[in-house]
Amino acid sequence: MSDIGKIRIRVPSNVKAGDVVRVRCLVIHPMEIVQRDAQGKIIDRNYNYITRVTATYLGKPVVAFDLTQSVSENPAFSFALKATAPGPVKVTFVDTHGGKYEATADIAFA
Amino acid sequence: MAGAMTRRSALGTFGAVGAALATGTLSIGTPARAQAQGQSQALGLQESVQDGLKRVFGGRPMKDGAALIKLDIPPIAENGAVVPVSVEVNAPMTPASHVKSIWIVADKNRIPIIAKATLTPEAGQAFVGANVRLGETTDVRAIVEQSDGTLLTAKREVKVTVGGCGG
Amino acid sequence: MRSLPRLRWAALALLVTGCALAARESTPVASPGRTSRAIAEARGDVRVSPDGKRTAVRYAGWTTRDFGAFRSYAYDDVRPEPPVQKAVMPVGVVGDPKKGRALFLDRQKGPCSGCHLVPGDDVWPAGSVGPDLSTLADRTLPDAYLYQQLWDPRVTFPVTVMPPWGAQGVFTPEEIVHLVAYLQTLHGPPPPEKDADRNPFTRRKPTGFGDNLDPTNNPAVVRAEEAQALWSARGPKGKACADCHAGLPQTAMRGVATRYPRVVAEYGRVMSLEDFLSVHAAATTGRALPSESAANLDVTLLVKMASNGLPVAVDTTSPAARAAIERGRASFYRRVGERNHACADCHTPDHGANKFLGGRFLGDVTGGLTRHSPTWRTSQNDVWDMRKRMQWCMTPLGANMLAADAVEYAELELYLTTFDVGKPINAPGIRH
Repeated sequence: MSDIGKIRIRVPSNVKAGDVVRVRCLVIHPMEIVQRDAQGKIIDRNYNYITRVTATYLGKPVVAFDLTQSVSENPAFSFALKATAPGPVKVTFVDTHGGKYEATADIAFA
Repeated sequence: MAGAMTRRSALGTFGAVGAALATGTLSIGTPARAQAQGQSQALGLQESVQDGLKRVFGGRPMKDGAALIKLDIPPIAENGAVVPVSVEVNAPMTPASHVKSIWIVADKNRIPIIAKATLTPEAGQAFVGANVRLGETTDVRAIVEQSDGTLLTAKREVKVTVGGCGG
Repeated sequence: MRSLPRLRWAALALLVTGCALAARESTPVASPGRTSRAIAEARGDVRVSPDGKRTAVRYAGWTTRDFGAFRSYAYDDVRPEPPVQKAVMPVGVVGDPKKGRALFLDRQKGPCSGCHLVPGDDVWPAGSVGPDLSTLADRTLPDAYLYQQLWDPRVTFPVTVMPPWGAQGVFTPEEIVHLVAYLQTLHGPPPPEKDADRNPFTRRKPTGFGDNLDPTNNPAVVRAEEAQALWSARGPKGKACADCHAGLPQTAMRGVATRYPRVVAEYGRVMSLEDFLSVHAAATTGRALPSESAANLDVTLLVKMASNGLPVAVDTTSPAARAAIERGRASFYRRVGERNHACADCHTPDHGANKFLGGRFLGDVTGGLTRHSPTWRTSQNDVWDMRKRMQWCMTPLGANMLAADAVEYAELELYLTTFDVGKPINAPGIRH
């Protein structure tokens, strides 16, 4: 499972102060779905999926996603932010197995 | 060439800074599990969409938000495992008046309430997107809660095809 | 990514379990005269258990049904196409249109609706490869004629994409009587269409999956980036790819992929990049890169992406290449499997290409199908090369798959690649 938690963040280039920009991120994660036994009964175990994604910009929260197993494997998320100053966008993913994955990307002004 | 390296330079620093605990070290009933599963259960359960909406929103009225909500989702999903959905709300994003939350709901999914996004005015625009799973052809709804408590909703049908020659 | 658990729907998990059990209790059947450097589940092996039950060894989640009774793409499979069969409608069976309609839509059989449109809001997703049958009964065709069409249409139409359903045993005589009874109820005019997407002739074409080179869109790009380290990692012989191919793969391998598949004189056969790596890496670095292993696909991606933007330039003129392309072309038109289909049935513009097979929009061979391979498959959440795609196609055809590195597939892939010549490589792709 060495690939779990690999993150890519895409921020636009040529940003000007005051622009509302769109950020997109992807995390490698199995987002395990519920399995059933031969009788159709749900197999009870701790399925590993991401429950929460948070994004901050310049240290301030922008968006938080609460998620379920209805979200795709290797999920991608998009959100907007108002670019007020150059600085980092940080995205954090938390899963049901205690995994916490973070990555940052910098908003740079043209 | 728009290959890996070129792209990579346009990306931010990446990679996990936190490491996941190895699978298997968490046994059933540990606080980590209870907390994590409990958190997700607050959002989405295996339930009918009616039960889910009642559980989350009680009987609060919902206004037709079709004019304000742009729900972007392919009308035909060749593949229910990865369906890109995005929601954009034509509404102010100021501390005084903003979109507080956006729920994405798929009526026929076993877990119909898929995701909830909580926004702050820093976003500048009420826009979120995610890749979701759809088990079958279904209505997908966006439910928007504004800072004054108003609920708006919009929906679109997505036809999901299946595998094999018939799919 | 490939080490992640392959979690699919519960039914698939059951199939996997069944497969694993069968594998323990049975012995493999060697394919005479063939050697494969593919991973075990990609070799096309069939196992026979002590009670004589034959089980195909395939990828996790794939059917393990043995299609050995039907023709395959193997060059040494010299069985002829199934003979054309005339059939007479059985007497004493009363056709039930309701049963016939259920059979028409039965996904375990055709489904007939995969190619033919019929009325009904529950008909989804119907395809457009075959004629719209919504008003077939108005043609007042005799029952016996329709029965023969379903049993084996080659009696009337020697070149048809429709399988000989009865002759190949997919439908029983009684079932075909029910189907005929249903078809004879399809009088016009068809009910007004509530939804233009129900009708494959007016349905919107599927849109793509966005920018295939954007790592926040295509997980295969992330995977390739993470695989960079493989290039300079030393194998058991103490050598790395980078020791002979100096620099990063982006520069050292620029242009190499444009020439594959090609005839490799050293090995006396046509090889794709994947095939070549499976022997070349072992010979030089000592690291095995078996076909369809994650490492093989990773290095293939690195090398292929190093040619992104460059036009495909495979050899189509040398005598050896021309002979191989001719054999590949023959495979493309060869009818195989339970359904007696050829690749051409679905992928040439005069047949199924650019039409809907069920909800799937069929690819067109003339547009080139290989320059974006290996491709991220959103339906599989994994990277597939052309070979796994070909092996996957064998299942609906009802033919046993060959080994991923079989020369038959290599020459078929070379034939397909001739349609990509001059077009820019753009890998990894992203597809359904």
